[in-house]
Amino acid sequence: MVIVQGILIALAVVLGAFIWQTALSGVNRKIVARLQKRRGPRWYQEFLDIFKAMSKTSVSHGWIFDFGVIMAVGGIVGTAMLMPITNSIVAFRGYDNFFIYVYLLAIGMLGMAMSASGSGNPLASIGVMRALTQMLAYEVPFMLVVFTIIFNTQASGLSLNGHVLSGSVLQDITLFQQAGHWNALALPLGLIVGYISLLGMLGKKPFETFIAPAEIASGPMVEYGGKQLGMLMFMHEITVFIEVSLFINLFLGGAQNLFEYLLKYFIVYTSTNLVTNVYARFKIDQVVKFFYRWPFALAIIQAALVIYLGWVI
Amino acid sequence: MTIELLLLSIFIVAILSYVTTKVNKTAGAILTIVGSLIPLLLFLVVDLKSTTTIEFFQFSLNPLGLFFAIIMSIVYSMVAFFNPYWMKKLLHPASYNFLYLTSFASTLGLFFSSSFIQVFFFFEFVVWTSLFIIPLGKSRVASIVYYTISAMGTFSLLFAILLLYREYNTFDIQTTLTNISYNSNLGLVVYCLFGVAALAKLGAFPLHIWLPMAHGSAPDTFSPVLSGGLVKMGAFVAILMVFGMNSTFMFRDSFHVIHTKILDGIPYQNYILLALGAISIVVGTLMAIAQDDAKKLLAYSSVANGGYIILGIGVADNIGLSGALFHIFAHATATALAFLAIAVVSYRAKTTKISELGGMIHNMPITYMMYLIAIISMAGIPPMAGFISKWLIFQTLIHNGLIFMAAAAFFGSIGSFLYVFRPLAALFLGQKLPKYDHVKEAPLMMLLPMFVLSGLTVFYGIFPSFAWNYIDPILKSYHLTEMAPTLFQLHGYNGNLNAPLIAGIFVIGVLIAFIMFISLPKSRKVSLMDTYTAGEFIYTPDLLHYAKDFYAPLERLYANHPSILKFYEQLVNKIKEFGQFVKYLFFSKKVEMTVFWIVIFITLILWGGNIW
Repeated sequence: MVIVQGILIALAVVLGAFIWQTALSGVNRKIVARLQKRRGPRWYQEFLDIFKAMSKTSVSHGWIFDFGVIMAVGGIVGTAMLMPITNSIVAFRGYDNFFIYVYLLAIGMLGMAMSASGSGNPLASIGVMRALTQMLAYEVPFMLVVFTIIFNTQASGLSLNGHVLSGSVLQDITLFQQAGHWNALALPLGLIVGYISLLGMLGKKPFETFIAPAEIASGPMVEYGGKQLGMLMFMHEITVFIEVSLFINLFLGGAQNLFEYLLKYFIVYTSTNLVTNVYARFKIDQVVKFFYRWPFALAIIQAALVIYLGWVI
Repeated sequence: MTIELLLLSIFIVAILSYVTTKVNKTAGAILTIVGSLIPLLLFLVVDLKSTTTIEFFQFSLNPLGLFFAIIMSIVYSMVAFFNPYWMKKLLHPASYNFLYLTSFASTLGLFFSSSFIQVFFFFEFVVWTSLFIIPLGKSRVASIVYYTISAMGTFSLLFAILLLYREYNTFDIQTTLTNISYNSNLGLVVYCLFGVAALAKLGAFPLHIWLPMAHGSAPDTFSPVLSGGLVKMGAFVAILMVFGMNSTFMFRDSFHVIHTKILDGIPYQNYILLALGAISIVVGTLMAIAQDDAKKLLAYSSVANGGYIILGIGVADNIGLSGALFHIFAHATATALAFLAIAVVSYRAKTTKISELGGMIHNMPITYMMYLIAIISMAGIPPMAGFISKWLIFQTLIHNGLIFMAAAAFFGSIGSFLYVFRPLAALFLGQKLPKYDHVKEAPLMMLLPMFVLSGLTVFYGIFPSFAWNYIDPILKSYHLTEMAPTLFQLHGYNGNLNAPLIAGIFVIGVLIAFIMFISLPKSRKVSLMDTYTAGEFIYTPDLLHYAKDFYAPLERLYANHPSILKFYEQLVNKIKEFGQFVKYLFFSKKVEMTVFWIVIFITLILWGGNIW
């Protein structure tokens, strides 16, 4: 019974996440347009785009092209199902281990990469290559910061564990922050790294090399149209939801109620869109160099401060 | 059934196989399947006894040995199914079959040995048998390098064993290792010597250079055995040295790296081991990304995965050891599977160079799926076995606050997405090249072992708790807390994992995606050449296939890296120079040297007794 309830909550989370994030993308398009002195599309434009793409007939480049799309959407939906929203809206309490997000997200990415390469278009393969290379850049500093967070919290779950090894304190990452300080405040260097990595994850400029619309014809997505494109757009919205929610849960203390969560989400996501509009694009090797020069160093310093010196606010 | 009898029977089958192969090649190769499959069934079903009848040999049925022996039997027996197809390709099929089974028998002997001299004996035996298999492939140089590095390992092992014998007057593993933990001075020497043996066999930095050479040029059917099986002997030695010698107790008074209020720190000896593991991960990952030969790529990934095993072992706690043991299993099955998939490609398309291949998925979809499962496990993505072990290793790294090791581990795990994707994208996917139109799917006998290996990878990824039937006795034998996971709960230091739940959620996700996909309008199928080319007209698939220098922008960043290989080459040159100098001094036919020695001789005689 518990498991059925969990699955129902999880499905509701995915559906809600899709509606909220897609609407927010539309709103953000409007905000960006106003910055550029345009009127911008209507707020529900993204919905129209997705449903229109889904309703069209399309072309397929063989079974792996379709299989990859299914695997991508499946992996991402599965990851989103595990995401805790607030203290009370949690589908599977205690099993939302941080590493599951990193790796379960990867299966979605792998599916998409496979499908894109399976299309036989070299531009798509170049896009995939860049996406993977960028992943190597942003993921390591980000994981190091989370390493510090987990060490500091003594828990790797986002919601409360049902069972913890003897000797350790019964807690989780979000409740730990709500009881004390947010990690954004406790680990200021970590926040910087986390935010830069978030830009990398979301593919926002200066780290949007793998999409690079003017250069490699929209990157991995070049061959898609119709329902495949629609499903990948759906997948993209859910991916953004996972990444932003992860940031909120890890750095901004999660949320006690839905309103707080939505407010934090709005602020974080909109801020990334504002940042992206004042930057130009990095080349892919510049991305790697940048991440291993600054965020990586900051992440190491932050980890050393916490673990060796015990300096936490 | 005693272990002794088992080894003897495998040896007899080996000889039988040699003779049979001379008459009928396929029949001889089938004997290798029989010879390696029966021990596996025995380990799983029958209770073996350790009583011995032959004077010299001493075997004991310890849990650690059993764990390794089962993995070794799985790898050997599954790979053996490929042997019949390679009989025509090999220069000496009879010797190959004979050596295949003898090397298998000697690994089993090694794991069950209860005396050190016997460990050395079998260790050497494995090296010698595999040494002669490797040159049956592409290169002879590879086996020279393999032997040199292995010799470093085996001789330092021998030296350590003799040191232990001099001190305690016995070769018994249990006794000597228990005693040595009270003698930290001699213990350190033995620890270092064992370390050399372990790193050499595991192919960890700085002794990793033999792996890509040997794996890359060995016969396609032996590469999976090398990578999935034989390198794991290094892990066995590493476990003996860290847990058998109880290194944390032995080095309790030595300097602990980063000992703070919160952390106990790690003895610097173990820390060095961990550092070497971390460097192996980084080096292996970076080198694997840059490879063009699929087999070399997988070989470098074995270097990186060996690093993970060292990280798990070196921390010296129960979760770390469990992670390492699980990783040994997960990597053995995954890497054997990946190597076998590449072997299929090599069998059908006659090459393993990624840049020469393309679109193999349209010829061999099942092999592709097998490779996909293997790389998902190697990259540590759920719901495959590789995820469980990486999760456990991360748990222990975080608990011990090992920042740099964790950075290397994270780098390696994200980097693995890059290198495992390379053969996927360029070899299996991409444009279908016309020159491989005739290529067919692998025969059923080759698919069968791949099904078994992928089944194991998936099963233990979803239900990891079953592995602790074998791991918990090992933890117990080293007086560590047993993990005792339940079906739905695997406890770490700072969280727990519910592997079936994750798998279930993933299945639900895929189901949703599938329903979405079939309920939407059907799509029209077009050819691979019917793609967006930005207005250019291209009619040759080769021109639309992106396979060469896949990660060029990334590779550029470390193209001028310092190489350990260059250092070894310089070392070789120095030794050669020294040899030439000695030759010049004593063995040259030059007149001046003869006169020189005569003068020296006469001077010494004239000096007489005063010289002393």
